[in-house]
Parts: sequence; structure tokens; C-alpha cells
Amino acid sequence: MDFDETDQSDEALFHVLSSQASNEDSWGNDFDDDEMLDDGLEEIAIPWVLASSSPQPTSAREHVDPATSKVQASFEYGELADTSDPIALDHVDRFQKDREWVIARIEEMLENIVDGLLGEKKSISITLKSRSGLTRRTAGLPTGSSSLPPKVAEIGFPGATAQEAWKFTVLVRMLEIVHASLIDDVVVTKRQVMFERGSGGCPDLFSDIYYRDPDLFMKQSVVDRYVDDLACTLNISRSQLNVGVLVPKLHKGDKLHLDDVEVILILEKEATFRSLLTSSHWSRMISHTLVLTAKGYPDLATRQFLGIMASQCPNIPTFMLADFDPDGIGIMSTYKYGSYRLAHEAMTDQGTLSLDLPRLRWLGVYSDQIRQLVNQVNGGEVGTATDVRGLMRLSARDRNKASRMLEWDICTEKGQEQEWRHQLQVMLMLNIKAEMQILEELSGGLARWIFEEITKNLYSP
Amino acid sequence: MSKQYLTLHTLDSAHPTDVFALAPTKSQILSASGSSSILVHSTTAADFPLVQSLDGAHKLGIHHLVTSKEGNRAASAGFEGKVKTWRPTEEGIWELEGEIADQAKPGDIWAIALSADGNYLASSSINGKIHVWSLNKAEGTPKIREYETKGSFGLCVDLSADGAFTASGHENGGIYIFNNDTGRLSHSLAGLVHPVRAVSFSPASKLLAAAGDARVIALYDVNSGEQVANLSGHGGWILTLDWSDTGEYLLSGSHDSKAKVWRIETRSCVATHSHGDRPLWAARWLPKATRSEMFALAGGNQAISFYREAAG
Repeated sequence: MDFDETDQSDEALFHVLSSQASNEDSWGNDFDDDEMLDDGLEEIAIPWVLASSSPQPTSAREHVDPATSKVQASFEYGELADTSDPIALDHVDRFQKDREWVIARIEEMLENIVDGLLGEKKSISITLKSRSGLTRRTAGLPTGSSSLPPKVAEIGFPGATAQEAWKFTVLVRMLEIVHASLIDDVVVTKRQVMFERGSGGCPDLFSDIYYRDPDLFMKQSVVDRYVDDLACTLNISRSQLNVGVLVPKLHKGDKLHLDDVEVILILEKEATFRSLLTSSHWSRMISHTLVLTAKGYPDLATRQFLGIMASQCPNIPTFMLADFDPDGIGIMSTYKYGSYRLAHEAMTDQGTLSLDLPRLRWLGVYSDQIRQLVNQVNGGEVGTATDVRGLMRLSARDRNKASRMLEWDICTEKGQEQEWRHQLQVMLMLNIKAEMQILEELSGGLARWIFEEITKNLYSP
Repeated sequence: MSKQYLTLHTLDSAHPTDVFALAPTKSQILSASGSSSILVHSTTAADFPLVQSLDGAHKLGIHHLVTSKEGNRAASAGFEGKVKTWRPTEEGIWELEGEIADQAKPGDIWAIALSADGNYLASSSINGKIHVWSLNKAEGTPKIREYETKGSFGLCVDLSADGAFTASGHENGGIYIFNNDTGRLSHSLAGLVHPVRAVSFSPASKLLAAAGDARVIALYDVNSGEQVANLSGHGGWILTLDWSDTGEYLLSGSHDSKAKVWRIETRSCVATHSHGDRPLWAARWLPKATRSEMFALAGGNQAISFYREAAG
């Protein structure tokens, strides 16, 4: 199955980090110096990722009877992912456009703007080609296909409208971030990457570009769109902007050795997952830890896998790291208790009991950790919530959601999740939320923090 | 010159979860938390005994609780979005009086304040609107004022003791003073920029204190709207403010567990206390009885602690 040829890209995929996979992926070379990749699975078996998204294909629902399945049975999911390289967007001509070429083009664009500012040109503008809006109508055509001409738009500053001025600002900021990452030759994922599959059936983009300036970008989809447009303008792939890298995936017949798994860590977002695995600290500090993400609310396949793990290996402690916001707790709740509390998600639930993870432990992020962080970062100097990157205000939707969650039976005064109740209340009191990546601000970064928290949890009663 | 305050008594685990609000009367202190009950402790007996528990007041927990200065009324706001008013009997037993309902969704009403005589209630809301209600039951507790602001979440609100003014503090740093007689904006106060989490009128309604994430307390002249002082020293976001009866001292509490007493005359901090290592949600002076000045602190450590001024 080729992502570029179909919209049916939402299968559950197993991605396993192993030396055998995807050296042919030119961008995978970025990670070849990573110790984790050099170690074969035979030695450490971990970490690896289960990446999946909902809705699941029907075939994923069919077979699992957790009571009888062997752990390896779940790896049949791997068959859902074809062995072809999911990043098939490297056209031949694109290979000729190397990093220096892309840097030069971006610098050209930035120089034009500077010339404009210096009055050497009549207007300040960026010419942008865009295929957004075209791909959906032409499903089945490779997104990189040149068979349809892209739309061309001129975005000027200050522009005709406030909207145009904002677009221009967004583009300049993105050019700056992408340029810096190219110069450093660091994939933007190094700090935070949001890796997800786009609706157009194209494997994509992520980046903490959004988190560098959430107030400016407003939402992730803005970043997604303009990175697309930027890539389209330069006629290169997103990965050539150093935005996003795909993890090699599990191939049919691959086996994972779970005997060595001592800890399971579930991450809410692939952004954090990616950040962890690209962290040089991580491989040194963590071994025998199976790291997993389902990118937000887990689908059935993910929960089935965890359910099997829990029934086969009930003694492996399982931790959850989620955002400090209502959705973070909601996602944790879905892992722990299933989706019946989230009727609005319209997910069908099968075998809720066997899929639950009643012993799931909450590693973070919660309000005490944020308070310590705020005090550590500001060190008593005058500063505010917004001084700490990643700390944000609740939206009206967040507040409504948190209030509704307080009505859940598990969050009532007699419910079993008193700490969730407490954290939701504190969230509402302070009107703040925080993404997991806020923990990168700590000395040692997220990887070290996770290591310390897990250690603390394992060895304290 | 610093002042000494001694811990008089601590009610450990007063509530099963974070204590979000304290509301004293002359003889009692009411407290509210993430649990559904309002607790009433006596402040006239040495061990501050629990005298009443208003169970199930707000099922989802209580974020604000206030009493009128005369002690004749209390009001509570819960996470489900309701505001309830309470009245004491002659024996000091609190009873539910009624509910203020404005087809409010959770969060529509956030912070609340009562006038000194207990006849008016002001509320802030998530959309920035500030309301003032008459609590006259015969008239059906009508909403008598509705003030528009720029739409930023109203984190805090206060009514001046004389009932003449309403003040609000907002997430975008906005601070407003409204004239309740004319129903108009008196002043839009500049200065803090960051979320304002507490506003409080001095007892004589001459000054307004405002504070929040900027970690400084700004004092404004209510009549002119001029900023007259900045009190800096807190290292954490300031969550709560309260003036002493005489207006000589201001008490503040912060997210990093510190309480400070400020002498207004000298604009200086005269005492600092730590209340555990959790957020200090509430700091309130107790109305001055015959004894020396006393205040109470409560927050994330679930305890309520009472302090009194050292003699001499």
C-alpha cells in the first residue's frame, strides 16, 4: 500500500525501530548514529513504537480474543502495513535539490523581504504555490504529482487585510524556523515534532513549529498548511525542509521480544515520542522500556495490544504521560477505562473489560509539576505564566470539557479518580494548561525527567 | 519594621482536597474546597472546632465562597456553574437561602463578591461580563447591573464596602472600576498586563489593590484611577488579597505557598509566612475582636492555619 495512492491510510501501523528497516529511507540516515538504531532488536528489543490512528480498519477488530491470544498474535497488525516505504514522495528531481539548495532558496525569499524593507523594492511579498484544496478532489493522484498546476498566490505585507498581514507573518516566522533547522541540520523534531498522517493520505509533517509560537500560528493546521505550501513552492518534499521523519515500521514476519520489557510508557502524542527517541539522553538512561503512542485517543487496536500485554504480563508497570489539559486526562481515561465515557467520540467499544488498564499510572503532567517548573524557570524573578513556553490558557471549550468531566462517575467525590478531579479543578482555578513538551524546559530535558519520574515511581511505595 | 505573627492553630486536613476559599464572620470561618461541602469552624474557641458542615452544597466542588462584612450572608460558587446564597440563623446555623440562576452554563459565573451589608452580589464570568445582582428575594433577586469589558475572562471581582463600586480583574491584565450608581465604567486601569487573579477594595473604598501573575501588587486610587504604589516581593503568582479592618495592612497569598503582610503606610512587606509547599488559594484577616490581629491561610495542603500578631 502506498500512502500516496490512496486515502485509506489510516490503518494501524507497527513501526519498529530496528537496524534492518529502511536504510533506503534517505532521511532515516539522520538517525543512523543513534545508538538505539545500531543495536539490533535481538539485544535490546526496545524501544519501539506502536503508531496507529482511528478509525481502525475492520480487519484489526476481528481476531483478538485477549484470553487466548499470544502476545505475538497482535503483531499481525503489522500485516496491515505494507512493506513498501511509506514515504514515497521523493521524486527523482527532488533528490537533486539538496540541503544547500533549499537553504539558498529560503535565503533568497528572506533577502527579497529584507530588500523590500530597505525600500529597494516596491512591495514586500512572498509568492506561494499551493496545492491545498486540490489534493482531496484528486484522490488517487500522488500528492507530489505535477499533473495539476498549483495555485499561485502573492502574500504581501502589510497587505490588503489584517488576515494577509498575519499570513505573511506566519510565513516569515516559518521560514525563519525552517531555515534555522536546515542550517543546524537538525530535524525540527529534535525539540518537538508532531508527526501525523494528513487527511489527504500523505505522510506528514510535524513539527514543533507550531509550539514555537502558538499564539501566532493559532492552530496546528495552519502550520501543516503552510509547510505544505512552502514545500510546494520549492517543489520539494516536506522532509527536505527538515520537517518530520517517519519511523521505520514493522515488517511482516518481524518479531519483537517482549521478555525484556520491564516498563511500558504510553505517550499521548507522537511529538513527544519522537522527541524522546531523538534525545541522546534517552538511550543511555532508559532500557527495557517499551514506549508507545497512539497519537491522541487510542484506537481499538492499540488498546487490544495493551490489553493483551496487561493480561500476559500483569506485573509490568504501565505509565501514562499526557498533556495537562482536559483532553490529556480524557485520553488517559480512554486507555484506562475505555471510551464509554466519551460518547461524543462515537467509538464502538468491544470487550471493554478486557481492554481496560486499571493499573495505569499517571506519570504527568499535573499541576504540581507545572508549579515547580514555573518556580524553577523563573527563579523568583518577576515573570508570568506565559514566560514558560508551553503554558497556555484554557479555551472556553477546555473549560466546558473540564466541567463535564467533573461529572464523570469516576471523578465524583466518591469516585476512584480523586486525583483527576483535583487536577481538573486546579486547571479551572488557574485557567492554565500545558503541553508535555513544557518539561523540555527542565534541565536535562524531557528524557531525564521521564527517567527520574519512572525511577521514583518504581522504587517508592 | 517587621511584625511577628505566630501560628495559633492549624486544622490539618480540614478538607479532603485543596481549600479554595475562606470566608470569615465575627465568630466563624467558612471554608470551601474541591469537595462538595462548606465547612464552618468557630473562631471563638481555642481549638477552632467544626460547628457545621453544609454537605452537598456543590457536587462538583466549590471554587469561590464569600461572606458579607456584616456576616449576615454567604455566597458560594460551584464548578457546576451555580451560585448559592446562605443565611445564618440567630444561633449561627447556616441555611440555604436560594440560588442565583441566569441560565448559566458552568463557568458563566466565576468569581463572586458580596457587599458589606450582604444586599448585593457581584460576579465575573468567562466572557468578561461583570454582573451585579440585588439579593432582595421579594424582588426575585434581579440582575441590576451588567458591565461589558473587552471579553477577557474575569478571574476576580470585588464590591466596595459602601456598595458604590465594582472592580474586576481579567486574564488579559485588564482591571476595571465601575460606578454602581451610574452603571458606568469609572476607570480602566493600566499597569499589570498579565492575568489579574485578585482585586480588593480597601475598607474605606479609597484604594483598590490588584495582583496576579505579574507578582506585584498594584494600588490604585479609586477616585482618580491613578496607580499610587507597586508592592513587589512575591516570587509566585499572587492568588489572593485581603485588607485588614483598619486598612493599615494588606494580606496576600501566592501560588508558591507564601503569605505576606504589607504595611500600606510604608508600602513595605512586614511579614512573610510559608504555608506548606502547595498553592496558597486563600488568605483572610479575621474581623478584629478584642484580641490582636489574626489571619487565616488555606490552600493546596488541605489545612487551615490561624496566625495572630505577637504581643508587644
